[in-house]
Amino acid sequence: MSKYHNFMQKPLSRREMLDICKGGFGSLALLSLLGPLPLSCGQSERSIINPSSNLNLGPHFLPKAKSIIFLYMDGGVSQVDSFDPKPRLTKENGEDPRKKFKVDATQFDNVGKILKSPWEFKQYGECGMPVSELFPHIATCVDDIALIRSMTSQFPEHTNANYFLHTGSGLQGRPSMGSWITYGLGSENKNIPGYVVLDGGLIPPGGLDNFKNGFLPASYQASILRAGPQPIANIKPKESIPNLQEQKLSFIKALDKKQLAEIGEVDAVESAISNYELAYKMQSSIPELTEFKEESKATKKLYGFESDDPHTRGYAAQCLLARRLVERGVRFIELTCPKVSADRWDQHGNLKDGHEKNAHAVDQPIAGLLKDLKSRGLLEETLVVWTGEFGRTPFAQGSNGRDHNPSACSMWMAGAGIKGGTIFGRTDEYGYRVIENEVSVHDLHATMMHLMGINHEHLTFRFGGRDIRLTDVHGHVIKDILA
Amino acid sequence: MELSILLNTGVTENPSDILIFFGRIHPLVVHFPIGFLILAALVEITTKWAKFQPLKNYIHYLWGLGSISALFAILFGYFLSLSGDYNENTVFLHKWSGVALFLFSSICYYISKRQIKLPFYGKSILILIIVFTVFYTGHLGGNLTHGSTYLFEYAPNSIRSLVGMPKKEIPRKKVTVLDSADVYLDLISPIMNNRCVSCHNQDKKKGDLDLTSYANLMKGGENGDVIIPNDTEASDFYRRITLPESHDDFMPSEGKKPLTKNEVLLIGWWINNNAPSNGYFSQLNPDKEIISKVKNILGLDKNSLFNKKVSPPKKEIIDSLSNQGFILNKLMKDNYYLEANFSLSEKSITPKGFETILQLKDQLIWLNLNHSNITDEYLMKIGQLENLIKLNVSRNNISDKGLMHLSDLQNLESLNLYETNVSDSLLTVIPKLINLKRLYLSGSKANDSIINELKKKNEKLRIIFD
Repeated sequence: MSKYHNFMQKPLSRREMLDICKGGFGSLALLSLLGPLPLSCGQSERSIINPSSNLNLGPHFLPKAKSIIFLYMDGGVSQVDSFDPKPRLTKENGEDPRKKFKVDATQFDNVGKILKSPWEFKQYGECGMPVSELFPHIATCVDDIALIRSMTSQFPEHTNANYFLHTGSGLQGRPSMGSWITYGLGSENKNIPGYVVLDGGLIPPGGLDNFKNGFLPASYQASILRAGPQPIANIKPKESIPNLQEQKLSFIKALDKKQLAEIGEVDAVESAISNYELAYKMQSSIPELTEFKEESKATKKLYGFESDDPHTRGYAAQCLLARRLVERGVRFIELTCPKVSADRWDQHGNLKDGHEKNAHAVDQPIAGLLKDLKSRGLLEETLVVWTGEFGRTPFAQGSNGRDHNPSACSMWMAGAGIKGGTIFGRTDEYGYRVIENEVSVHDLHATMMHLMGINHEHLTFRFGGRDIRLTDVHGHVIKDILA
Repeated sequence: MELSILLNTGVTENPSDILIFFGRIHPLVVHFPIGFLILAALVEITTKWAKFQPLKNYIHYLWGLGSISALFAILFGYFLSLSGDYNENTVFLHKWSGVALFLFSSICYYISKRQIKLPFYGKSILILIIVFTVFYTGHLGGNLTHGSTYLFEYAPNSIRSLVGMPKKEIPRKKVTVLDSADVYLDLISPIMNNRCVSCHNQDKKKGDLDLTSYANLMKGGENGDVIIPNDTEASDFYRRITLPESHDDFMPSEGKKPLTKNEVLLIGWWINNNAPSNGYFSQLNPDKEIISKVKNILGLDKNSLFNKKVSPPKKEIIDSLSNQGFILNKLMKDNYYLEANFSLSEKSITPKGFETILQLKDQLIWLNLNHSNITDEYLMKIGQLENLIKLNVSRNNISDKGLMHLSDLQNLESLNLYETNVSDSLLTVIPKLINLKRLYLSGSKANDSIINELKKKNEKLRIIFD
C-alpha cells in the first residue's frame, strides 16, 4: 500500500463487522415477526443495466417520457412580462407598491414604483393562452404547452436557488436531477453519456456543482458539450500514430484493474475505468453527433440558423443538438443560456433591453425544437421543461429593472404526457405572490420523474446513514397538468 | 346556582351550545381519572416492597385526585350525551360504570386516608374492581367515539372470531372482463361505498338511511323507500343525486364530491332495469352507450393488455436480438412488457434475423425502427406483433404495399410514418386501427385530401402532418 492508503476503503476487521451488524440481527428478527413488508425503499431499487443480461431493467411503471430537455432560463425570467399578464400593473403604473401591498425584503433593497410590463399580451392557439410580445414563436406552440404560473422557490438569490432547482437542496453538493434520472434509468446509448449539459456560454451561478453527481457514483455526472466545431476539449486524439492511443488506454485500464483487485470496489476507480472507455467511444460518436450534415436546410431554418442574431444561431445549434441527443437515447439534456450582451435574464436594470435580447436569442430555436420534435413523433416521448430559478418583482428596482422574487415564477412543460393548453396555478393581481395551487421545486421534480416512469419516493441512495431521494421528504406529482 | 341552570337547560330538547362545548372537553378530561387511578393501583402494589413503603403515606392523595377527576369526567360526559348523537344503550352502560368508578375510588380515598383495615383482602379486591372498571368504561367510551368495530377491524381473523365478529371481508376481485361484472356488487355497490356510506352506515345513519348493503338500501330511510324499481322519477335516491348542486336536498351534501355523470347515468339505468340485487351486467341487455360508460367506470376502456401478466422473455431470444443490435428495455417493474429499439444500432438487420422478434409477440408493446433500413417485407412480420401499442417506422423505405400488413394491430395507439412513402393505403388501413390516437405523417406521400378524409373517419385521431 502506498501513500494513497488513507484515501482508500480499508477492509473490515471481524470486530468492526460484528459491531456494525449487531443492530441488524435484532431488526431481522423483528422483520420476520412483522411478516412481509414492502422492502422497496432503500433496497437496491435503481434499475441499472444488469451486466449478466441483455435486458435493461426499466422504470417503476410504464413511462410517458424517455428523455427530458431542460431549457434553463438562467437569471429568472419576469413572469409578469412573459406568461402572466397583470392589467392592474398598467393601471397603477408609477404608484408606490408599499401603499398597495406588503413588500418583502428584496435582494438589493432598492424598491421603486409599480412597473407595468413594456410588452403587450395576446391570446394564442385554441386554448387562448396569453403570451407577451417577447415570445412570438413560442406563442405558436401554446396548444402543446402546460403553463404553471405558481412556481415558487425557497431562495431569493441565484446560487442557492440554482442548487435548489437543480438538486432539490439549496446547499452545494447534492446530486443533480439529471444524475438522479440517469442513475435510475441508465443510458440507452453506450457511446454517449446519459446526462449532457449543452453549454450556451453561461454556466449558472453556483458553477458546475449544479450538474454534479454528489454522492451518486461518478459516472452519473453531467458531460458538458459546447455547440460548435470543438464541442468537447481534446475530442480529437493527439496521438499521431494509429493504435498508440488504444495501447495507452489498455495499459491504464490494466493498471486500474490490478489496483481494483487489491483494494476492492472503489467507486472512484471503477468510474474512472468506465469514463475512460466512454471518452474513447465519444471520439467517434461526438463528431458524428455535432456535425449537422444530414439536417435539411428547412430544418435548420426552422430552428433559426438563418437569423441575423448570432446568439439566436448559437442557441439554435444547441436546440438542434438537443433533438439529436434525444434521438440517440440520451436521458437528460440541459441547455444553458447564450451570453448575450445584456447579462443573463437577471435584469436589475434596463429590463426592456435585456429581456428583449435574451428572448430573441431563445424564442425561435425553442419553438423550432418543439415543432421539429412534434413532426418527428419525438415530442410524445420527450418532456421539454422551460424554467428559471425564480421570478421577478412586479415593482421596479431603481427606475427600470426588476428584482428577484421567489414567491412567484411562471414556467412551462410540453411533450410526453403533458396536457397541452392548460394553465395551472394563479398569482395575485400584481403577479407578486402565488394564491392558488402553489408548485414547489420538489413538485416539479416529482412530476418530471413520474413522467419518466419513476416513483420519486422509491428512487433512493443511502448516504450518511439515510436513504436519500431527489425530493427529500417532499414532492407531489402535479396531476392536473398530465394528459 | 349557575350549575343548576346549566343542568336544567340541558334537560330540554335542544341543549344549549355552551353545554355541548363543555361536553366536547369530555374526551380530554377522561384521561385524568384513567391515569390517576391506574397510578394509584400501581403504587398500592409497589408499597408491598420495603423500598417503596414511604409512599404509603401519600397514596390517599392519588385516590382523591382520581375520584375528583372522575367526577368531572362524569359531569362533562353527561353534557356530551345530551347531544344525542350516540348509541343509547352504550351511553347508559358507560355512564353508570363511570359513576361506579367514582364511588369506588371515593371509598378507596376514605379508607386510605383513615388507614382502615378491611377484612379478607378487602382492599385488594376493591382495587382490582376499580382497575377492571377503568378498562371497561374506557373501552365503552372508545366504542362510542370510534364505533364498535374499530378496535378489531384489523385484528387477525382468529381474534375476530373470539369476540364474535365475522371474518374480514375479502375485497372483490378487480373486474377484468366485462362479462364477469356483477351489476350490484361490481357497479352499484362501489359507487355507494365511495360516495354515500361515509354518512349512511350502521353507526352514523343520517336520515335513518343505511347504504352499506342492498337489503338496507331497500329498507329506505325516514321518508320511506328511496329506490322504486323501474321508476327513477319516484325514487328519492335518484332525485337527490340529480338535483342542482345548490339545492338543499342535493346529495352528497356538505360539499362532498358529487357523483360523476357516468355514475348517475348508471344508477338511473339500474333502477329502470328493476334495480336487481345481483346478476351479470351483460345479461341485462345493456345498450352500447351504457356499456361504454361502464367500461369507463371499471377502467376497461384503457388498454386491456395491462390487466394481464405476461411471462418473462426467454434469455436466448433476448441475447439473440441484442446481438443483432436491438436494445431491449423492460417497461415496468411488475410485468414483462418490453420495448425494442433498433434505431441506435450500428449494424443492419436481415429479414431472417428479424423473425426472432416474433418470439417476443406477447411481451413487445413498443417498437422503434426509426432509420433502420427496413422495407415492406419487414412490415409483414411487424403486422403479427399484435400487442404493439407504439410503432415507429419513420425514415424507412416503406410503401403502401407494406402498410397494408399493419391493419390487424388492434392495440396500436401511436404510429410514426414520418418520411416514408405511404399514401393511398392509409385510407384502408388507418380506419381499421380502432385504438389509434396519434399518427405522424410529415414528410410522407400523403396529401391534404387524404388527411381530411382520415380526420372525417376518426375525429379523435390526432394527425401530425406539415
